[in-house]
Amino acid sequence: MCRALLADCRQLWRLRELLAVLARRELGARTAGSAGGWLWVWLPPLLTTAAYFLLFDVVFGMRLGAAAPTARVGTFLVVGMLAWSAFADATQRGMMSLLEAGGLLHKNPLPPALFPARAVLASGVVFAPLLLALLPLYMGAHQWRAGVWALLPLLLLQGLLSFLLAYLLAILAAALRDVVQGVQLLLSLGVFLSPVLFPLTLFPERWRWLLWLNPMTAPVLGYQAALLQGQWPPPAVWLALAAWIGLLALLLSLAVARSRDQLVDWL
Amino acid sequence: MNAPVAHAAALPLRLVGVGKEYRLYDSPRARLKALLTGRALPRSHWALQDVSLELARGQCLGVVGHNGAGKSTLLKLICGTLQPSQGRVERSGRVTAILELGAGFHPDFTGRQNLYFGGSLIGISHPQMAELEASVLAFAEIGEAIDRPVKTYSSGMVVRLAFALVTALEPDLLIIDEALAVGDQHFQKKCIERIQSFRDHGCTILFCSHSPYHVRHLCDVALWLDHGRMMEFGSTEAVLGAYEKHSRLLGGERAETAAAPLPYERGPDSALILSCDIADLGDGDPPTLHSPDLVATITVRGKGAERPNIGFMIEQERGVGITSLATHEEDAAPTEVEPGVWRSTLTFPDLPLHSGDYVISVFLFDETGLVTYDLWFQFKVIRIVSPTLMPGLVRLPHRWS
Repeated sequence: MCRALLADCRQLWRLRELLAVLARRELGARTAGSAGGWLWVWLPPLLTTAAYFLLFDVVFGMRLGAAAPTARVGTFLVVGMLAWSAFADATQRGMMSLLEAGGLLHKNPLPPALFPARAVLASGVVFAPLLLALLPLYMGAHQWRAGVWALLPLLLLQGLLSFLLAYLLAILAAALRDVVQGVQLLLSLGVFLSPVLFPLTLFPERWRWLLWLNPMTAPVLGYQAALLQGQWPPPAVWLALAAWIGLLALLLSLAVARSRDQLVDWL
Repeated sequence: MNAPVAHAAALPLRLVGVGKEYRLYDSPRARLKALLTGRALPRSHWALQDVSLELARGQCLGVVGHNGAGKSTLLKLICGTLQPSQGRVERSGRVTAILELGAGFHPDFTGRQNLYFGGSLIGISHPQMAELEASVLAFAEIGEAIDRPVKTYSSGMVVRLAFALVTALEPDLLIIDEALAVGDQHFQKKCIERIQSFRDHGCTILFCSHSPYHVRHLCDVALWLDHGRMMEFGSTEAVLGAYEKHSRLLGGERAETAAAPLPYERGPDSALILSCDIADLGDGDPPTLHSPDLVATITVRGKGAERPNIGFMIEQERGVGITSLATHEEDAAPTEVEPGVWRSTLTFPDLPLHSGDYVISVFLFDETGLVTYDLWFQFKVIRIVSPTLMPGLVRLPHRWS
C-alpha cells in the first residue's frame, strides 16, 4: 500500500531541481511587482515575533509560573507561535496547492505530489530561518547546552509532518471542497489545543491527553525544551512525532493509491 | 487494426488496450466517502476503451471524431497528464504537446522569467534554456518586450512565446490538439514550417483535428474515434472516407467536420479574399443562376511575394459537400493581376447539378496549402434550376447502351 507514496517520494527526489524552481516561483509570485520583493515574505512573521517580545516581556513584563520552561511570557510564546505559524502556513498553502495547480496539471505531465511539496518547502524557506535565528537569541539562558541541537531534527520532522498532512488534505480538498473550510476552522482552534499559548503544566491534567490529538503538540514541546531549556526533548515528544508521521503516511498512502488515476480529473 | 509499422523496435508510441474510466459520483460527499472508505459505488463513464496502436518514427497520425469521441482524453493520456484506467501507454524519447499555449504563464512575471519557468516544467533545465534562449526569442519575435510582465503582452505575443518555448527542442513525438498554427499569418507560416521541419527530421506527429482537409494533407495514418472506441485505424483516406460517411448519416453533426471557422486576420497587410463574383446570377433570394455554366472569379490579396492558393467548395443547402477544389491540388496557380493581387477563374461547364439551393465557400491558402489565410465560409447561396425533372443531386457522366 505504501508503494504509491514511495513512488511519489522517488519522483520528488528525481524532480528536486524543479521542486526548488517551483518553491522559488511560489515565493516570487507572492511579491511579484512589489519593490520590497522577498522582504514582504519575512516581514510579517518577523514583526509578530518582535511584538511578542516587546509587549509581553518589555512593556508588561509578564511572567509564567515556576513549572513553565521559562518565566518570560513573550520568550515562551515566540517559540510556539513561530512553529505553529510555520505549520499552519504550510498546511493551508499545501492543502490549496492541488486545487490551484489544476490548470498546470491538466497541461503538464507532472506528479501531483510536487505541489504540496512546493508549498511546504516555500513555507520552510520563510519560517525555518526565523526559528534558527532564535538559537543565538536564546543561548544566553542556557549557555548552548547540547539539547539546542535538537532544533535541527525537529525542523526536519515538522517539515515531513507538514508535507504528509498537506498532501493528504490536498487530495481530500480535491475530492470535497468543504475540507478547506473545515481545516481552516480547525487551524484557528488548534492553537488553543496545543502548548503554544500556555505551558503544558497549566492545562488540567485529566484533559491533557486532548493536546496530544494535535499533531503540533510534540514539535512545540520539543522546540520549547531545546530552545528554552537547552534540553534534548523527552522520548514522549519523539514517540508522538513518530506516531503522527506514521499515521499520516499510512492515510496518505491509502489516499494516493485510491485517487491515483482520478486526482487530476477532480481538479 | 494496426497500420503497418516500418520498424517495430524503438517505437515512439505504443498503446496497448488503453482505456480511461471517469468515475462519476452523485455528489462530492460520495467522492470523499469513496476516497475514505473505498466503498461508495460510482457510476462509470468510459471516455476511451481498448485503444491499441503503434506509431513508427516519422509517421503522422490524424485523430478524428465528433465532440465527446475521446480525442482529447487520448491526447492527455499520451501526454501523461491523465493516467489510464486500463492498459499501457509506452512512449520513448521527448514528447512535446501543443495544447492551450501560454496557459501556464504568470501575468506578473516577465516573458523571460516565464520562459525559464515554463522550460523547467517541460524538462528544459536552466543552463539548457540559457543556451536555447537566443533562438527561442528570435523565433518568437518578442524583442525587448521579453523583460516586460506578460500581462502587458497581446494574446498573439503570448502564444508566439509559448509556441517558441514548447518547440525549442526537437521532439520525438509531437502532439498537436486542433490549433495547427497560432498568431498572425506570418507566424502561422513559421509554425507550420517548424512542424514540417520536425516531420522531415523523423519526428512522429499526433494531430487531433476537426478539419479533414488538414488531416488529409498532413497525416499518413488516421484514427477515427467514436464514443471512446476505435472505429477505424489505417490509411488516412480510408479512415476519413468512413468517418465522413458516418458524419453524413448523422446529418445534424455535419458542421463539426467542416474547417473550423477561426477568426481570420484582416489587417491592412493581411492576405485575404477580396471578391468572389459569380457570373450570370439573377435577382431573387437566393439568386438564380441563369447560365448552364457556373463561372466564379475569385480575387485575393497574397502575403508578400508568395503565390497563394485558392479553394472553392459547393455544398447542398443542408451542408452536404458536393465538391471541393483547390488550385494547389490541380497545379492551377492563380494569376497575378497587379502586385500582390491574384485571381483565378473557376468554370464548371454545363453544371451537372439538379435543381436546388447550393452553398458556396471560398478558401485562401498559403503556397503550401497548409495555412488557411482566409475563409468565406458558406458566404453565398445560389439557386440552380435544372431542366431535368428526375430526382437526384448530380447528373453524373453516363452512357446508355
